[in-house]
Amino acid sequence: MKEQLMEILKELRPDVDFENEKALVTDGILDSFDIVSLVGELNAEFSISIGVDDLEPENFDTVEAMEALINDLSD
Amino acid sequence: MMTAVLYFLIPLRSRWIVLLTSSIVFYFYGGIGTGFFMVLTILCIYVTALWLDRYNQTQREYLKDHPDLSRTEKKAYRGKIQHKKRLVLALGLVICFGFLVYLKYFNFLSAQTFSLLGLLGISSAAPQIDLALPLGISFYTLQATGYIVDVYREKVPAERNLAKIALFVSFFPQIIQGPIGRYHHLAPQLYEGHRFDFMECKHGLELALWGLIKKLTLAEYVGVVADTIFNDYTEYEGFMILIGSVAYGLQVYADFSGGMDIVRGIAQIFGIDMAVNFERPYFARSIAEFWRRWHITLGAWMRDYVFYPLSLSKAFADMGKRTRKIFGSHMGKMLPTFLASFITFMLVGVWHGSSWKYVAYGLWNSVIITSSIILDPVYKKVEERLGINTGCFSWRFFQIMRTFFLVSIGRIFSRASSFMDSLRMLKRMFSDYNPWIFTDGSLEKLGLSENEISLVLFMLIVLFVVSLLQENGMRIRKKLEEQNILFRWLVIVGAIVFLLIYGAYGAGFVASDFVYQQF
Repeated sequence: MKEQLMEILKELRPDVDFENEKALVTDGILDSFDIVSLVGELNAEFSISIGVDDLEPENFDTVEAMEALINDLSD
Repeated sequence: MMTAVLYFLIPLRSRWIVLLTSSIVFYFYGGIGTGFFMVLTILCIYVTALWLDRYNQTQREYLKDHPDLSRTEKKAYRGKIQHKKRLVLALGLVICFGFLVYLKYFNFLSAQTFSLLGLLGISSAAPQIDLALPLGISFYTLQATGYIVDVYREKVPAERNLAKIALFVSFFPQIIQGPIGRYHHLAPQLYEGHRFDFMECKHGLELALWGLIKKLTLAEYVGVVADTIFNDYTEYEGFMILIGSVAYGLQVYADFSGGMDIVRGIAQIFGIDMAVNFERPYFARSIAEFWRRWHITLGAWMRDYVFYPLSLSKAFADMGKRTRKIFGSHMGKMLPTFLASFITFMLVGVWHGSSWKYVAYGLWNSVIITSSIILDPVYKKVEERLGINTGCFSWRFFQIMRTFFLVSIGRIFSRASSFMDSLRMLKRMFSDYNPWIFTDGSLEKLGLSENEISLVLFMLIVLFVVSLLQENGMRIRKKLEEQNILFRWLVIVGAIVFLLIYGAYGAGFVASDFVYQQF
């Protein structure tokens, strides 16, 4: 799953070092436009439904947090 | 001062009552009439939140009592409850925003409707209401409605004590111009009693002092320049109009951020950490970044309660599917997001007031942000072709100045007397090239004496240096605390003396008024 996620992230923002950044939303690296695009991609790729309630910085600050969110919503 | 003494004298668990009493006294000091609508808003969100919470609880209990339900059955049950919750939330939102729309926009909407009818040959006098706008209604309505949406989303439980909800909405430092607090961050701090902490109190007073300095030694003076040019703009053109808009930009920043420092400083005396509203916005390198640094709590509210719900709604997802077929994958996918951004910025614009100039202000910001995203690949290609080093200081400086210029243009819409005046000002700005005004003494005829101009320049340098240090991660008050006692007190006493000597108060200045108070 991580590979697919990384592919989506790299396509979205090739300029960002997703492996090492730990505050993607908190530090403003990903803005609200990025988040909306990312949610659309993740919903389509993993057949999940990320809702407005899930749009908390802690769910998108790191790749690991995104993985955890996808796992939660896939259950 | 009285509130602080009382707060720390009574038992911890009752201290929030002192804050509530002070808030009521502060608010009703402005008139019983304006307080009436706040009471209605408090009652509305109190009942709505309890109603929503009952559905949340019913759902939790039902799902707990029926662990053997299939995923589809659970989903169907949740859908049924959510439908009911949506109706309740919609009712609460319509009532709360109904007060705001009625009091703030009725006269404007009525005048526009009847002037349209006049064009169709139906002429009649537009009905108007004559009610004073309640103090802080634009701010407390957003804060209050944010709370019920959070209960709807099960992010926070409903508060059962009506008096506590009243405190959350009316907390006196924030009532004039925010910040627009979030329930989960602000409410627990208001309700729990805080013990007296000398350092918190000292830091709070220092922050309030810095806010007062920004407000009284910069905002009030550059405001004179802005007023001189905007109130009589037909006398000015070219760079003079630009100076007017820059002066207004500096005025509103020093005034609003100064006001926020005072508010946050006062709250800190009670041990309450209020939301940050500014993060050095004039260092932003794009308009989008500017809005992440300027009036942060309004931008965050609009993002979380308007932009995200719109962008992720089923209607917008369906629209995306249709636009993808017409405009291709990338643009088709982005169009619904652009529309959501457009609606959000229009709301940000009209939140400031009921006038076409605020519609234009929202439109200007929306167009700049959308076009910068659409044209981003083109910019990147141009930068590549021209071999521009985008990582160096000079390029970042260029981006900051470009953003500052674009923000200043936007300021003309928000400060001009009307939309037509803002267009005329823009026309006059670009119709003449007169750089000599910087050297021929014209700047001394904008309402400020030579000494006052020197004071403004000095304060701009101080503000710039402080901002630069903060931008580089320095926490000024903490740094000051590390210095020797003599130096520390020299700085604080020096700042107080500076404020007393150079602060703009007395005849001709109404220092108690803030620019954002009118919104």
